Amino acid sequence: MTDEIRFEHISMEFPGVLANDDISLSIKNGEVFALVGENGAGKSTLMNILYGINTPTAGNLYVRGEKITDFSPKAAIDRGIGMVHQHFMLVPSFTVAQNIVLGREPKNAGVMFDNRKAEKLTRELVKEYGLEVDPSAEVRDISVGLQQRVEILKTLYRGADILILDEPTAVLTPQETDELFDVIRRIVREKEMTVIIITHKLYEVMAISDRVGVMRQGKLIGVENTKDVDEKKLASMMVGRPVLFDQLDKTGGPGEVAIEVDDLYVADNRGLPAVRGVSLSVKKGEVLGIAAIEGNGQSELLEAITGMRKINRGHVTVCGQDATGKTPGEIRALGLSHVPEDRLSTGVDKFASVTDNLLVGKQKEKRFNLFGFHQRRSTVERYAEELYQKFDIRGAGIHTEVGSMSGGNMQKVVVAREFSFDTPVLVISQPTRGVDIGAMEFFHTRIIEQRNAGAAILLSSADLDEVFRLSDRIITLYEGKITGEFEADKITKEEIGLYMTGTGEGAKA
Amino acid sequence: MKAFFLRLKQKFDFGYLVALLISLGVALLIGTVILTITGFDTGKALGALIGGSFSSKQYFGNMLEYAMVLCLCGLACDVGSRAGIFNVGGEGQLILGALFAAQIGVWLKDASPWIAIPCAALGAILVGGFYAFIPGVLKVKLKVNEVITTIMLNSVAVFICGYFSKGPWKNPSPRVVSDTSPLNRSFMFGKLIQSSNLSTAIIVSAVLTFLVWYILQKTTKGYEMRLVGDNPRFARFAGLKADRIVIIAMVISGMMCGLVGMFRVYGAAGKYQSSISNEYYFEGLMVAMIAQYQPIPTVIISLIFAILRWGAIFMEDTVGVPIQIYWIIQTAVIFCMAGEKGIRAAIHKARETRAAKREIEKRREGGAVRE
Amino acid sequence: MNDNSWSNILTVASSTLNQMLRSATPVALAALGGLMTEHAGIMNIGMDGMILMGAFTAAAVSTALASAALGIVASVIFGILVGLFFALFTVKLRSDEFIIGCALNTFAMGITVYLSRSLFDSAGISNAPHLHNISIPLIRNIPFLGSVISGHSLFVYLTWAFVILMWLFVYRTPVGFWIRASGESPETLRTAGKNPERMKWIASILCGVFCGLAGAHLSLGNLNGQFGQRMVAGRGYIAFACVIFGGANPVKVFAAALMFGFFDAIGLQLQSSKLVDPDLTSAIPYVITIIMMVYVVVSGQRRRERIAKQQLKKLELK
Repeated sequence: MTDEIRFEHISMEFPGVLANDDISLSIKNGEVFALVGENGAGKSTLMNILYGINTPTAGNLYVRGEKITDFSPKAAIDRGIGMVHQHFMLVPSFTVAQNIVLGREPKNAGVMFDNRKAEKLTRELVKEYGLEVDPSAEVRDISVGLQQRVEILKTLYRGADILILDEPTAVLTPQETDELFDVIRRIVREKEMTVIIITHKLYEVMAISDRVGVMRQGKLIGVENTKDVDEKKLASMMVGRPVLFDQLDKTGGPGEVAIEVDDLYVADNRGLPAVRGVSLSVKKGEVLGIAAIEGNGQSELLEAITGMRKINRGHVTVCGQDATGKTPGEIRALGLSHVPEDRLSTGVDKFASVTDNLLVGKQKEKRFNLFGFHQRRSTVERYAEELYQKFDIRGAGIHTEVGSMSGGNMQKVVVAREFSFDTPVLVISQPTRGVDIGAMEFFHTRIIEQRNAGAAILLSSADLDEVFRLSDRIITLYEGKITGEFEADKITKEEIGLYMTGTGEGAKA
Repeated sequence: MKAFFLRLKQKFDFGYLVALLISLGVALLIGTVILTITGFDTGKALGALIGGSFSSKQYFGNMLEYAMVLCLCGLACDVGSRAGIFNVGGEGQLILGALFAAQIGVWLKDASPWIAIPCAALGAILVGGFYAFIPGVLKVKLKVNEVITTIMLNSVAVFICGYFSKGPWKNPSPRVVSDTSPLNRSFMFGKLIQSSNLSTAIIVSAVLTFLVWYILQKTTKGYEMRLVGDNPRFARFAGLKADRIVIIAMVISGMMCGLVGMFRVYGAAGKYQSSISNEYYFEGLMVAMIAQYQPIPTVIISLIFAILRWGAIFMEDTVGVPIQIYWIIQTAVIFCMAGEKGIRAAIHKARETRAAKREIEKRREGGAVRE
Repeated sequence: MNDNSWSNILTVASSTLNQMLRSATPVALAALGGLMTEHAGIMNIGMDGMILMGAFTAAAVSTALASAALGIVASVIFGILVGLFFALFTVKLRSDEFIIGCALNTFAMGITVYLSRSLFDSAGISNAPHLHNISIPLIRNIPFLGSVISGHSLFVYLTWAFVILMWLFVYRTPVGFWIRASGESPETLRTAGKNPERMKWIASILCGVFCGLAGAHLSLGNLNGQFGQRMVAGRGYIAFACVIFGGANPVKVFAAALMFGFFDAIGLQLQSSKLVDPDLTSAIPYVITIIMMVYVVVSGQRRRERIAKQQLKKLELK
């Protein structure tokens, strides 16, 4: 095997962030190389350099011994590099075939786009690689798994022999993941391709890769042969220490029921049923965690409970009062606070200051209003300063524009505001997405504090460890239905995994 | 002391001030070039353009009245955009307000001014508000783009006014083609400067300006409007009645425009005529854009453009330069400000990339020694 | 009903349809440009100004060089420049499209009248050499249809050709695909090795050209070599509405323009019949445009709901 790709002292700096720090790495011809690391470790940035989207700030890149000077996707494609991005790069209104040939269209008489030929070429590719998909279907109408196939076919059409897959399984069902891995094995074996797979799921690394590189905070921590390591070793390399968080001190037991959901049906943005007949209840002084693979209805469920999404059927009760069909404001008044999944689009006003973001929801309180309409700025600022200190928000003070803060600090602003309402019910979605490990501990401690103080907490997280760590009970969701309910300390992650993928005992019933 | 300067820095955007001054300078330069190319006496023309508003009491008064109109229109735009809705339909709201105010004055011609004037003002406000309510509801409930609907409604308003002022509400005198009957003289606002357009309406306007500034900047309602305008989804999430706030902001914006129409009739023209507003609202909109929808800059920029506008009129009278040079300069300011923003962003990015490179090289050297 | 009233009705109908084609043409031309920027993801409300400047350029050059053809060429060249100018701000400098569009419209009002007054000593231009209406042999002799189709300015027929060419360009050429991708999913295009910004520049230039042509048609084709400050009368905005209404598909956009033309013609017909006040009939096209906008949104929502329902059924069958 020879060096197919060689990174030499590559560094990449974005304003304020050193995303890649002096990385040297060789990837061999015909291997499956896994690149693992937490969110924000710099994996995608490194691969974007290889694909020519980012030009490195310093260092050199060699592909098959040739030094790369022109960084552009076009040049990368010409060199036989293909990339399947985490967020698919597809034009929704184009057909499968049109997406595959985009940029290198077959032409009729030298000018006109030859759609028939495009579909024929697609069919040939489909046959050659066994990736079944309808060439004339519009991409917006096909499933996520099929869309990923289109992405792979696209790179193959362009003649790629180096394939980069950025978190390919994040949105896939287990069956689809298995199929994907079969395809990867086949193209490596039969077509002698080199595959680089970015992931943070360690069992996938073990299942598919020959070698594995671990990244942490922009640095390459180590490169190992997959057969020489195990998941535990990789995990400790990823986080920089053995994965042992301090034990959280859970005190008190569950009290009365505070959230009750009865036979709920909710549609997603396309109008398709996302939540199908979910019933659950959360008691005061407990955390109910939802474990599910992304896109199985957990987002829609929480949005429906908090009033952000229309309920098609069923009922929601918050603190003993009917919350079905009420506005978010009315539901908040029943005693509910909400840390939303996507803080940038839902959780903050990124153009406003920290002060203004912390005040939201309390702006009508008497202490902040003179004569009922004049905003008492000094009182507001004092209040903001207090929360700023209490939640250890780090930035340039309470006048900082929230949009300019880091993900972790922005999340602290959201959590500080929502927790400051001291409501009996908390709905929390993805509390630590894009947050560094230090801050993660902070959020976990705060959440358990609220639990111990008697709040009923409904938690959803893509991070299974987080769900296990915080929850008293766990429910698994699969395709909008509850597939199982467990005491958190009486089940293992592996078992939960089965239920999350619809293969557990509960799903059979 | 340091804290004081810090606060001052937070309150004033010096970058913006510099950009504005540079843009004004460049725009005047562009104007000068155009004047030279088209063969006018540049020095004389520029002198007239800048100094014309101060050449006589009458010009000065007219300038102030025009600044008042621009300022109120600009503020009306500010109010809408603060809540995230662009009122481009102010022109229609303005002329409808003027028409109804004028006709109410005609109907109540025998009443006391104490009844007629408030009634006219109320009529203008209601009509303007209603005319803004339509696109507001369409935007909030059906998500119909308010820019197109308001522009279309402007054209519709022009024809409605044309119909009434030529038809049922026309001055019965056969010599008049398309005006309403003149108002009872006792209804007119008192003139502050004789034979100019400047009337006591400017005092009402000043109070109104202060109120808008106060509400937008200092009250809880203004704060809520800003949240809705910045991120409506977040506002809804946080429990605000976002839809209602947007509609109310739009209606207030329309009411202000209607009132401007009434001021034009009762302060200057004395009747409704088709020249009651010569796209004044669009100039107010330009002012608001240059002011980045902030109230205090809106006031200042209104004054600057009013000076240029009446300067341009003076220039046309004395030097013969077409008054349209004023629009050219005004839009040049906007293009310059937009361009300046883009260029500044590009320079900023380039500077950061360079700094990053230096930083990494420095570290590399340090690292090499270690190795 | 006697023969006389029949022939009266036919005459009115044919002149209405004739006027429909006439009224639709400037809107359709501008909308053909507007659909390019729409596909490229640029909200272009500056078309009104682009048309006005095109009209002035055509009239002024036609007067100065005593040639309508050169006037049209000049308006095309000017359209390219305006497109470049628009793209410089909206694509290169990433300015607010809305502000730039508004400013462009006001700028157009200023510069055209200023130049007209300083070059021709009058706020408008009249009697510039213009295009003559084309009477098509054979077709003009067909009863009814002849008087509808024949006897228009060259631009009317050109527009029909442009609609077809534009459809082919947008949906049947690689560049058309790239322009659509640049608006719908620019990063996809970038990863396919094409520069989305370049596509936006191309779209903007094409938009300038078509608006220039629309202007040339207004001054040299529709009117007999005239230019006036208010001659565009919001057609740029109506064109924008047609683009939205037709989903930026050239054929559907043209249909929308025809619909606008139809109501405009009805208004003019009513006006000449003196049954209704001319001011009220003139307002019809603008009211129709608003109704069109509302219809697009409501029907879009209905369609989504219907599709969702179908999908639901499919799932239930499973």
